[in-house]
Formats: sequence, structure tokens, C-alpha cells
Amino acid sequence: MATPYYRPADKVPLPPKSATVKTTACDYCIVACAYKIFRWPVDGPNGGPKASQNAFNVDFPVESLSWWYPDNQYNQVMHNGKLHHVVILPDRDTKYVNKGDSSIRGGCIAQKVYNPRTPTADRLKTPLIRIMGTLLPVDWNTALEVAAEVGKYAIDRYGPLAYGFKANSYQYMENTYAFRKLAWRNIVTPNYSDHDNPGHYPSTPGFRDAGFDNFGFAYDDLRDAETLLIAGTDPYETKTIAFTQYIKPGIEDGHKVIYMLPRRSAGVAYAEANGGLWLDVTPGTDSLVLGAMMRIIYEKGWEDTAWMKKWLNNNWETSSGFGQGTRNTNWQWRTTWGKFQPKSFKEWKKWLFAQKEYELATAAEMSGVAAEKIAKAAEMLAKPKADGSRVKSTIVVEKGLYWSANTVNTNAIAALGITVGAGGRPGQMVGRMGGHQRGGQGGGRFPTNKSPQKVPGRRRLKLNVDVWTRSGHTRFAHVIGTTWLTSMSGTQSLQRRFDELIISNPNQVSSFDKKEIIKTLKARMDSGGMVVINQDIYLRDPIGSRYADIVFPVATWGEEDFLRANGERRLRLYSKFYDAPGDAKPDWWIIAELAKRMGYNASGDYDWKNSNDVAEAMSRSSRKGRKAYHMVKVAAHAEGKTLHEKFRELGSDGIQGPTFYVDGKLFGSKRLHDTELMSRLGKSDDPQDIAHYVDNIDVLSSGANIVSKKTTHFNSQTGKQNLQKFRWSLHSDLWNWLKPRDGSGELWMSNGRTNEVWQSKFDDFRRPYIMQKWPENWCEIHPDDAKKRGIESGDRVVLYSDRVPVVKETILGVKGSDYQFAGLMKNGHIELTKGAITAIAVVTPDIKKGVLFTDFNDHRSQANALTAAVPDSISGNWNYKMAIAKVRKIGVSPYKKDMRAMSFTRRGIVDADTA
Amino acid sequence: MSLSKTKSKISTKKEASCISNKCLISRRGFLLGSGAVAVSTMAVTLLPGTAKAAKAEVQVARYPSKKIGNIKQLKQDIPVAFNYPDEGRYSDMMLVRTGTRCGGGVGPKQDVVAFSTFCTHQGGPLDGSYNKKYKSLGQCPFHLSTYDLTRYGMLISGQAYESLPQVVLEMDKKGDIYAVGMMGLIFGRYDNLEA
Repeated sequence: MATPYYRPADKVPLPPKSATVKTTACDYCIVACAYKIFRWPVDGPNGGPKASQNAFNVDFPVESLSWWYPDNQYNQVMHNGKLHHVVILPDRDTKYVNKGDSSIRGGCIAQKVYNPRTPTADRLKTPLIRIMGTLLPVDWNTALEVAAEVGKYAIDRYGPLAYGFKANSYQYMENTYAFRKLAWRNIVTPNYSDHDNPGHYPSTPGFRDAGFDNFGFAYDDLRDAETLLIAGTDPYETKTIAFTQYIKPGIEDGHKVIYMLPRRSAGVAYAEANGGLWLDVTPGTDSLVLGAMMRIIYEKGWEDTAWMKKWLNNNWETSSGFGQGTRNTNWQWRTTWGKFQPKSFKEWKKWLFAQKEYELATAAEMSGVAAEKIAKAAEMLAKPKADGSRVKSTIVVEKGLYWSANTVNTNAIAALGITVGAGGRPGQMVGRMGGHQRGGQGGGRFPTNKSPQKVPGRRRLKLNVDVWTRSGHTRFAHVIGTTWLTSMSGTQSLQRRFDELIISNPNQVSSFDKKEIIKTLKARMDSGGMVVINQDIYLRDPIGSRYADIVFPVATWGEEDFLRANGERRLRLYSKFYDAPGDAKPDWWIIAELAKRMGYNASGDYDWKNSNDVAEAMSRSSRKGRKAYHMVKVAAHAEGKTLHEKFRELGSDGIQGPTFYVDGKLFGSKRLHDTELMSRLGKSDDPQDIAHYVDNIDVLSSGANIVSKKTTHFNSQTGKQNLQKFRWSLHSDLWNWLKPRDGSGELWMSNGRTNEVWQSKFDDFRRPYIMQKWPENWCEIHPDDAKKRGIESGDRVVLYSDRVPVVKETILGVKGSDYQFAGLMKNGHIELTKGAITAIAVVTPDIKKGVLFTDFNDHRSQANALTAAVPDSISGNWNYKMAIAKVRKIGVSPYKKDMRAMSFTRRGIVDADTA
Repeated sequence: MSLSKTKSKISTKKEASCISNKCLISRRGFLLGSGAVAVSTMAVTLLPGTAKAAKAEVQVARYPSKKIGNIKQLKQDIPVAFNYPDEGRYSDMMLVRTGTRCGGGVGPKQDVVAFSTFCTHQGGPLDGSYNKKYKSLGQCPFHLSTYDLTRYGMLISGQAYESLPQVVLEMDKKGDIYAVGMMGLIFGRYDNLEA
């Protein structure tokens, strides 16, 4: 931000030819752009502007799309105890993913590194224990011993269900492996949930049941699709490079993009101005639009009959035995009620045409999307071309779709994918655009059978950790790299319970004596309270700053070698390039030290000496998954290298999972569900394609190689796809109860990400450039809605509701309707709470009238204080987009007149003529 | 700052060139530049050759002062191209009278501003994209960044690693507009003054 208040430098130092260069990928969004780090000592010479003088080998001034940077991409770090310059730039030498491009988020990642002369000075550096209400620095041994003994006591006295984990699912595979191993293999607790849902549920149940892997497509498929339907996200906003390097070139080639979401940000505006469509859908009504589209397609005979003939399961094939047997599989318990599985394709089609809500006029009215647009979208996706050939259509989704009606919407869009022949061919794929990168690695099998939550009939549901904790059953909460409360629905009522269980409990540590500390924390649990331990890089508000009894400082990106994959399954080594602050340690080390003290290291499993040891230990368990990298280890050892060393060689191009090692060649998989792979074997020029390396499918399973079914087929018993019904009735009770009431002044309140910040802004708070753009939480409001309420851009507003529904207890279902919202209300399991947050109004025509849009995870103003904490009746997930709010002006913010911060200009400007 | 009132005998060629080129900055420039970014420090001898001779550290502007037009010539919302701080690569700038108060704006309405026309993401061309309703530049044809010219070239939406570099302007009593500095690093350059 260049203002008289904050002046960035008007010159930057250049790295000399002798600079150390390392490769890595971004720490942020799913795309994981490749980066290069240029590091050189501060007390050495700088480079110069001639190509012969700098590490980039270019003359300054440089060309566009070349190695230029302002000081936001520069910093200083300690490396081996000595001060070094670093410049961190998108890797212009990589052939894949970003090819030198980057977003503003990863672009400024140099500001992430620990530098005590900058705002990152408050990185956690030592373990802390709350004594006399203050988090005091202690030594590692004390902190670990207290945590281990108190945690073990909770397990021994109250059972594994009393020890709860709330952990991220993405912050590097070595780390997630370690804590999942502790949770599922040692402690064996189902009291475990990820950063983004209240229980360990699939984010896209409809995809999972249809047989689609969430991340089967290649980024090239986004470019090659002739029609691309994007539901519930604008990739430009937070998966930027997937848009700028793939979707935009596709549009420039004449491809059409259909967006389905209520907000027109830059990508939506660009697509709309270039032959695309914006389906401005009212939150929660996506399935109606999708159903109407399918009706039109079948009415006109535009469905991909040849594809469905080959790839659709019939009734018997869908029902045929799964996994553990018919009673406890995810698929089976859903079919018990007859709500999803059709008797035949014919019966499914008959059902589709019998549902009133999918009639075009009805769907248009309820969703607020013009009927002509719905019809046009159907045509763009499925109408054959003049020569009779089919349009190549790809469908991708994200949270706007699946966090508003988790089961219904994902069932519906999976069915649409099957209808238009998408999911299993180049340019014709189905999947998630993604949010975080794929950094999860199972450390054991999730103990679903230990969950006390049962679906009516016989089926077990994975435990809803939020509800379980609210009910007081979590005695010991282990929180790893996530904010928890602000990320979950019903924030303010969950926080009230945390206050009761932790702060109001009379047992507070008031001694520095280790035995006394342990005694007090045990007494807290015995008296019905809760103890919290927290691993993170910063003290987060409130989980760390207010509630944690013990805090462990974590070493993160750049401070340790780690492995992770992006949204097209591209695995890279994220290189260590500087010293972690103070005494911070990586998550895997902290878990290992705890495990040893809890008595779980009898076989030496936790004797890891470095992150490579962890990566090598877990490679076998990656084998059936989409990130299968075991063969990289086989290749590494064959060459006398460690796994990490081999990955370092693969650099920022990395390798796509699942990996293969055949005849001394190491290669990856460009896409999953590749039904045309067999016909391409031995004929492909593309080095990302399996077909480039083998001409015979059998050699793919030679040696230690495993060919998983999803390489060429879908994730079902037969390898074919399941077409399901999608029931508006499973969502309509909540939707009809929640929707803004006439005359009340209520509006829909959706929430999500905006381009310039990442997640909970843990790094952005420490970037003056970004903080001047978004100094506080904001709320987009349509001009008509704003005018009615006397609100202008820059006004401070309060968003409030006195009917935020929050489910109170973990229940044992008896009837099917017990898990429906209407049933929960009727049986007294829902509390109607009040919620309120404040924000700065941004009046813009780029949000649908009747809908507000605010940041989804700002701890200073939590959107989740207003979102319904009502589990999706089938999947159990929170539907974070289901919220309504009244909004009124409470004052004027300084940003209204102060030109230094917060632009209020609409984001949907396309060019000089945009009105 | 009393430097402008001090009559000092010039003792070095550097000092002479500095003073004759008006690179001793005005009070406004001093206040803007006191982050030691657009200015550099040099030693000057005050009252040389006298009993009161003393060395002082003074701040002088790094940037040249260049007259780029008169406010009366500016029609609202019609951008005017000029080059600054030199004629070299990436010196293309645009001056515009927006008709609304702007951060860094000069003129009675503080509505005259000037910016680089190279996107500070990856150097895409922004010229020709001025939107008179929104006082914006963009979408950049490369990666769609848009900029708010009323708020110091802040991103409206986009990927730039830095706000759009803004020309520091001054206007004298006659309405002549001068470019006297830059806020932010111009695309392509590692130093604004190295073309």
C-alpha cells in the first residue's frame, strides 16, 4: 500500500549469482503455485541489474511476465543463525500449475517468514502454560509432561471419547499423519474433527456416493472444457491461478463458463462479458436450478445416452456388497430409507419429472434465477453441436454449493454430471475446485464404530465434536492449527460453553509446581470442566489466547521440509530455507514427544528423527489414495536416496499422485477416472500422462506398484457411477423456516472468502499492504437493500439475528425424521440463540439483491455467530451458508472518508465501459 | 525548516547542482518524504568560510521535478499521458482529473492524480482502461487486476504485489502541475531511478 502512512521501498536489493536457490510451493490455497526462494547473506554482496550480475540471469528493467518484484516479496531471515536476505517469487521455470504466475496471497508470502523487526515478531517461540491466568513460558519437558499426564488421565478415567481432537486436515502430510496416528491408532477416539466440519464427514457426500473422487481432474481439463459449470465459488477469488492460467485461456479460446453463486466477483464478471452466464442463485436453492436444468436436458433428449449406457450402475450393481458389509457402510445406510437409490434409470427419470420443484417456472421463482438463464445453461452444457457431436462439459464445485445444502446439492450436481457425460474423460470431468491443499494422511482407521451417534435403524454416524463438547463430554481438547470456534456454526453459543467449561471452572492453575499443575487440571476435568492444549504458530483468539491451558509453538512452512499435494494431486517437497523462531517445533515432533510420554511408543513407532523419517514411515499407507507416493520412496531407495531427497530432485514440478515406478521410470497420474486411458496407452506425448510411459496396462501393477480402481474407473463396487435422487424435502424444512420473513427486514447472509486475504488472516494481519485494504470485517450489500436501510459504503453496520438455531445435544435417533430439522425442533433439541457481529458496509451491485456477503472467518467479527448450527440431516455437516440477518447502520467508519484504506468500488468492473 | 531562508555560500559542485535543480525539497515534499524513501541525505556546509560555518545533514529529493501541464488544460476524466521520472522503459504515466477527492490528489478539489500504467502484478498494460464512473484502471488484460485511483492506487480486486505506483504531484499558484516523486516501485525496475 503506498500512502503517506506506509511507503514501500522504491528500490529492492537483487540476489547475486551466488544466491542459494530452493524450490517450494505456496502455503495457502489449493492450487499450490510453485515458488523459488533466493537466499543470500546480508553481509555479502548484492546482485546487479545486468544478467551476468544477478541470480535471475536477466537484465533490468525486465520484460513483463518476468522476474520483477517490489519489497513485499523481499524479507530477511535467520539461516543457521546468520541473517540472510530472501526474495520469494513464483517459479518462472516450472512447466506446470502457475508457470510463473501467482496471486496476491502467495505473491506476498515473503511477508510470512519470521522476522522480529516486522509484524511477525509475535510468532510463538516457547511452550506456555497458563498460570495465574497468564500464559507463562516454560521448558518443553514440563509442558509435554503435564499435557501427557493430564491427557492420559482423561483417557484412563473417562474413556477415549473424553479426549477430543480438533485439527487441520492439510498442514503437511508428515504432521497430519502423526496426529491421526495418535488419535486413531493409539487412543482410538472418534472424538475427532477437521478444521472445516464438526465431525470427520465427507465434504461432498453426493460425489462420494456417485463414485467421483473430489480431485480427479487435471488443471488442463479446466482449460479444455468447452462448457465449464462452476458452482459455489469464483476460482479467481481464491484459487486464482486455476482461473488465470486455465479458465481464462479457455474463455479466450471461445469456451463458455457458467457460474452458479450469488456474488459477481472479477472472474464472474469477466466470464459474463465473454459469452458466459451468471446464475445468481439464492442460497440453498441450487438443487432446484440443477433439477430444472436436468429436466430440460432430458425433455430435449440432450443427455449423453452412450456414456450412461456404458457407465451407469443398475439397481443390483449399486446395491452389491461394499466394504464392511451392508449395515455400516456410508452408502448402505443412506439407501435404507429409499430416498436416494432409484429402482432403475427409467424410474429415476420418472421421479425427476414428478417433482414439482424442478419445473422451470417453480425453480426460477424459488431460486431467483431467471428461467431463460437456466434454460440457456442447460443448452450450453448439453445441446449437441451442429454436427451432432457432444459438447465437452466439466463441472466443478465448492463451498457455496456444498455448505448450503450438503447432501441435496452434491447429489443433484453429481446427477447432472452423469447426465452430461462428465466425470471420466479429458475436458469432461467432475470435481471440487478445492480450498486448502491436500495435506492429509491417515494414520490409522477412523473408529466409526466407537461413535455413540446412531442414525435411526442401525447405522453409526461419526461423532459431531462440537455438539459432544457442548454437551460437556470432551474433558481434554487437543487443538492443532485451527481456530475451531470461529470456524464452526453457532460460534457465540459454543464460546459461551467454553467459558463455562474452562474459565468459570474453579480449578485454575495457581502454582508453578508441576505436580500442582497436573493436580489442578485433573480436578478441573473431574469437576465437569475441560482442559485445552493448543499447537499453533500464533496465539489465536480465543482458542489460544483465552482458553488454552498449554500452548505449543509450531514450526511451519519454510522452517521444515514437508510434503503435500495440490488440487491436481501434484506432490512437492516444501523446502526448509530458514530457522524456525525460538524453540518452535514441527507438529509431528510435538505429537511424537507426547505419544512417548503417554506410553504409546513401545514399538518405537514414534522414534522419528526428522520429517523424512515420518514421510518414509507413512508412504505405504498412501498407496490406495489419490496422493499415493510410495513408489517415489521405492525409486529413491533404488537410487540410494531418501524420500525427501528424491522429492527435492523433482523440484517445483513435483509429481502427480498416484505414482508409478516401472522399468526405472518414475511417473504420475494426470487425472483419475480416466476411462480413455486404455485406448491411449503407448500413444501419448504428454509427460504427465500414464499412457506416455506404458503401452500395456499390466506392467502398471508390476513390483510394488498398485493400480487403484479409480485410475480408470469410478469409486464404486463395479467401478461404474451411481445415479441418485436428490430430495429437496431433506433441506426444505430448514430452508423454509430460515428464509427471510416478509416484512422483517431480514436478508440472506452468505459468507466466504475474498481474493486478497487467506483464511483467518493469520498472516494477513501482519501485512500492512493487506491490512490497509481490508482493515476490518466487511459486508457486501446490494444498493437496493442498502438504500432501504439508509446504508452507504463505509458505514459501520450490525448484522444480527435472534433466531440462530443451535442443536443442543448428541441424540440417538429413533425415527428417520428425528434427524430432520423439523424433527429436532419438534423434540426440543434446537435452541434459538441470538447472534450479532459488526462490519463495514460495501454497497455493490455485485452481490445479489436480498443477499449479504461477509468474510467467513474473522475472529473479530465472526460470520459463524449467525450461521445455523443444524447438522445436515444425512451427512452431519454444518451448512455454513445457511444464515439470515437483519442489518442496520450504527455509525460511520473512518474508512468512509480516509482514502488510505478500504476501496469500496465494485469488484465486477471489466473495463472502461463498465456501468 | 529554515533551510530555504539560509543564505549559504555554495562550496561544492554537487551542492551547486543540487540547489540549482531545485532538488531541495519543499515543505510539503519534506513532510511526505520523511520516511527516508524518496529522499536521501547529504552533507551541506552552512555559512562556509565564516566563523559560523557548520556542517548539516539535509534531506534532498531523489527524484527530479518535472512540469507536466496546467490544471486548466485538464478536462475531467480525460487521462493525459506523460513520462516520469525519465524517458526510459516503464516511465509511462497517466494524469487525470477525476472530479472527486483523491488520496494524493492536487488542485482545489484534490482531484488530480497520476499513476504508472504498468500493472504491479506482472507488468500488464493498463493504459486505455480508465473508467470514469468508478475512477478505476483495469481489468488488466493479463490477470484482471483493477485499481482505485481515489485511494492511492489500491487494488479494488486483483493480484498486484504492490499498489499501483502513484506520482507525487505538486501544483503552484499558477496551476502548473509538477511531478516530484513516486510512491511505490515501478514495474520492471529494481530502482525507480534506474532506467
